[in-house]
Amino acid sequence: MRNRINCLPKDLALPYQERLRILRERKIEDTKDKAGVRSFADGDDYGAITPPKDYVFKPIPNHRNGSFYGFEGWSQNFFKLMSEHPVHIDPVDAFACRWMNCMSWMRQQNGIGGFNPDLSYDHLKPAIEKYGIVSGIGSDAHFGGDYNIGLQLGFGGLLDKLVKYRLENPGHDEFYDAEILTVMGVQAWIRNACYGIEQALLQEENPALRENLEQMLECNRWLIEGAPRSLREACQWICWFNMASREYNRDGAGCQLDETLRPYYERDLANGSLTQDEAKYYIACLLLNDPHYYQLGGLSPEGKDMVSPFSYLILEAADWLDSSCNLTVRVHQGMDKAFLKKSVEYLFKNKNGWPRFSGDKALSEGFMRKGYPAELARQRVAVGCHWMSLPGLEYTLNDCVKTNNLKVFRVALDEMMASDGERSTERLFALYEKHQRLCVEATARCILFHLDNQVKNEPELMLNLISHGPVEKGLDMVDGGAMYYNMCIDGTGIASVADSFAALQQRIEQEKRLSWETMYESLCQNFENEGGEYIRRMLSASNRYGGGGGIADAWGERISKSFTRDVNDMDTLRKGVKFIPGWFSWSNTIALGKAVKATPNGRKDFEPINHGANPHPGFRKDGALTAMSNIICRIQPGYGNTAPIQLELDPGMARDEEGVEKICDYILTIFDLGATLLNINIINAQQILAANENPDLYPDLVVRVTGFTAYFCLLTPEFRKLVVDRILLAS
Amino acid sequence: MGILTNIQRFSLNDGPGIRSTVFFKGCNLRCRWCHNPETLSARPQLLRYGQKCIGCGACVTACPTGSRSLSPEGLRYEEKTCTACGACADVCFSGALELCGREYSVDEVLGEVLQDKPYYEHSGGGVTLSGGEVLMQPAFACQLLRALKERGVSTAIETNFSFPFEEVIGPLLPWTDLWMVDIKLFDAQAHKRWTGGDNACILENLRRLAALGKPVIVRTPVIPGVNDAEAEIVPIAAFLKEIGSLQYYELLNFNPLGASKYDSLEMNNDFRDARPLPKERIEALADAARALGLQVKVG
Repeated sequence: MRNRINCLPKDLALPYQERLRILRERKIEDTKDKAGVRSFADGDDYGAITPPKDYVFKPIPNHRNGSFYGFEGWSQNFFKLMSEHPVHIDPVDAFACRWMNCMSWMRQQNGIGGFNPDLSYDHLKPAIEKYGIVSGIGSDAHFGGDYNIGLQLGFGGLLDKLVKYRLENPGHDEFYDAEILTVMGVQAWIRNACYGIEQALLQEENPALRENLEQMLECNRWLIEGAPRSLREACQWICWFNMASREYNRDGAGCQLDETLRPYYERDLANGSLTQDEAKYYIACLLLNDPHYYQLGGLSPEGKDMVSPFSYLILEAADWLDSSCNLTVRVHQGMDKAFLKKSVEYLFKNKNGWPRFSGDKALSEGFMRKGYPAELARQRVAVGCHWMSLPGLEYTLNDCVKTNNLKVFRVALDEMMASDGERSTERLFALYEKHQRLCVEATARCILFHLDNQVKNEPELMLNLISHGPVEKGLDMVDGGAMYYNMCIDGTGIASVADSFAALQQRIEQEKRLSWETMYESLCQNFENEGGEYIRRMLSASNRYGGGGGIADAWGERISKSFTRDVNDMDTLRKGVKFIPGWFSWSNTIALGKAVKATPNGRKDFEPINHGANPHPGFRKDGALTAMSNIICRIQPGYGNTAPIQLELDPGMARDEEGVEKICDYILTIFDLGATLLNINIINAQQILAANENPDLYPDLVVRVTGFTAYFCLLTPEFRKLVVDRILLAS
Repeated sequence: MGILTNIQRFSLNDGPGIRSTVFFKGCNLRCRWCHNPETLSARPQLLRYGQKCIGCGACVTACPTGSRSLSPEGLRYEEKTCTACGACADVCFSGALELCGREYSVDEVLGEVLQDKPYYEHSGGGVTLSGGEVLMQPAFACQLLRALKERGVSTAIETNFSFPFEEVIGPLLPWTDLWMVDIKLFDAQAHKRWTGGDNACILENLRRLAALGKPVIVRTPVIPGVNDAEAEIVPIAAFLKEIGSLQYYELLNFNPLGASKYDSLEMNNDFRDARPLPKERIEALADAARALGLQVKVG
């Protein structure tokens, strides 16, 4: 944490854009400080800063192993954390404080992480191990809250609400005590921040910054108890909730930002208390405080386009900031095309990976297939890495649960080769489906275990506050407080599996160049036997997923249909709990690959699986985005969760207005064809190579790693290689 | 059947909207800067990328004419006896051998390019025939264009236009929505010297096309030391003033990306060390053309 008080000349004029330039430079300094700190590596930018060197948080254990669990453990530790939290005041910033470390990380750092040992899931571990399942047991956050609840009540109003429902729900004291302590903790941090601002005012000499500090102080004194009354107060309130929720368990879900803040903006403009530039400055500072996932545009529950002048202003503010943001523009065929065009222009101009784009048609129609009405489906907004959530209404474990479908494939292949029966791709697929079913069912049972036990491990004390139900019922979101339980199960490795099936079909069955035995011998020898490299090249040069209308694409569709059916079938396991399939690896491509030996797509032992729903690099000689996009559109499971398209585009593609129009047309086409989410990196190969050689020289280079954006210099060499390989091959 | 070298989808630089570009093999001109040298010969050719060879020897076994052999120095290749049948490339999985050019049926091309029809429809794009020189295979081009039009796909041709209008160009007119024609040099002698062909019929064909009201884009590849001066560009622009159906004039900066293809064909490359013009320079040339009242783009 660096001192930022009284660092600028006393007579320096500070128009808003100049303030943002200074804040951007300071962010680069903060990013450099974070490089090398393990907890900040390989994740979102988050907006956090490093704590003071002498700052240590000592947890209060409530278990004999030294860790803490449940309502009591988490609320007491959170209150202590908030009460002791360092205060960071930057007079150039519109808002007070930054977050620094989260309790989930601190438990790991203190060697007291992991699931509550009193709640054993040993019975699930053999299947987890056999199929390489990322089970989600003990995972936290990863669903969205409804900020409107907090903005309407303020922290004081939330306390009143807790007291009211505590009286109405006897027998839930543990829940209410924990929630009340949680809110009081946040209020303690705000009080400390007010003291910090007062101290800053004693030192700061620049009159413009003194004025800003005075306004900041007034705003925060009010927000200890009161509900926000202006755009500035609303943004600061969101900052407080975001920072506290990050400190609690790294929750990063945002909201429909334009519609959430529009009433404040319009009211302030109408009464003359706000200028356009001030509004941009506040929004830019909000985005700087923490790049939570926010959606812009889309359809209202009634089906009207929600793009407003304020949506444009948010894009302009992000452009002023010119830094890492996680803004998603929701695309639908009736949308304001000028807004889409403006979004694409900023994407290419700033090359920071924002905005990304989500497709209303496939997302809404898909969610409706799970039995929900259109009005509800339209409210399921993009507030996570690759995921959507109904604000404050559903519990999801989005992006926390993965099946390793390539591992399932290898288990099936080993079984076929060890048996005396027929050897064919059809029999192999039957075995694959048998093991996939077992894997999916085991995964669903892991989720049910989580739902039954997580509250005794780690309740959702922050997100409960802005959800519909927990406070009213006295139940945690994971434990019956939510209105809906739509549990995410993402498949991974679809391209690796499809390529493997296609290679076997083409080389062994169609061309008869190889025998099953020769192929398997090479696989078991990791292609290091005599002639193994030739066989590996032959397999990897086979028809590929993403190639366009070939056998590998057909395998991809077949695999996705099969996986989707299996996941949907799990809805019968427990009434009230639905399971939604998707295809997404997150950045687990490396870890998931490390669990799988060589495969017939020419992949060697433990190499990464493919990324999300994307093909492996080199899928097609011309690298045609349309061919790749077409297959990703066709393998969408189609129930409201995503299988994103991840693109690396050269900056020259949209060098003029015609180029921008073509990219807009591409975006509209893929969403018409059924795409759900589109992430784009605008980056040239030379820059990424230079940054890979010396990351410290590029502290402001932002890349979209998967669904999230990160500073390139904060990635570990392994993750940098992943991004570099993808970009080089795409170019 | 037609002989093609490649079908490139998601092409953004070969006409309006999102397009697929079908590359024909064979060209009647010999532009010395050509960045697609593999499309010059009308016959299939073997491209060789020695650095990718893993020395497996599969090509030696596969070759029916003995053109490939193993020696103590490594793999050897006899171009004189090679028939470019592709048997060696068929077993080369390292990418060291690649057969450039093969026969395609109309249905085969349609099977590929129609996969992107939704993108054409959203963007006002379509399919562009390019090369090589499309008009070297007029019958196949005509069948393909007609098949595309019958399926509601917009069509375009990139051509050097140095062919008889009545016999070659005329039959394609009903099936071609947009013509993209190169004028590489205006001076007849210079044109002959650098491309091996006469430009008189190109200019006359353009006049006839304009008289029919057919939309046309004229393009000039700007080559360092050949036509990168106002004295070369302005006369072309002046000529284009009389082409009433001209949509715009486009200057294409020199493309150096053909160097590795020359190496793989062991062909002499006169422009190995040439580089694209600086942005300011090509913009100055465009401004000179704009001064005559033309709409000019820089590609």
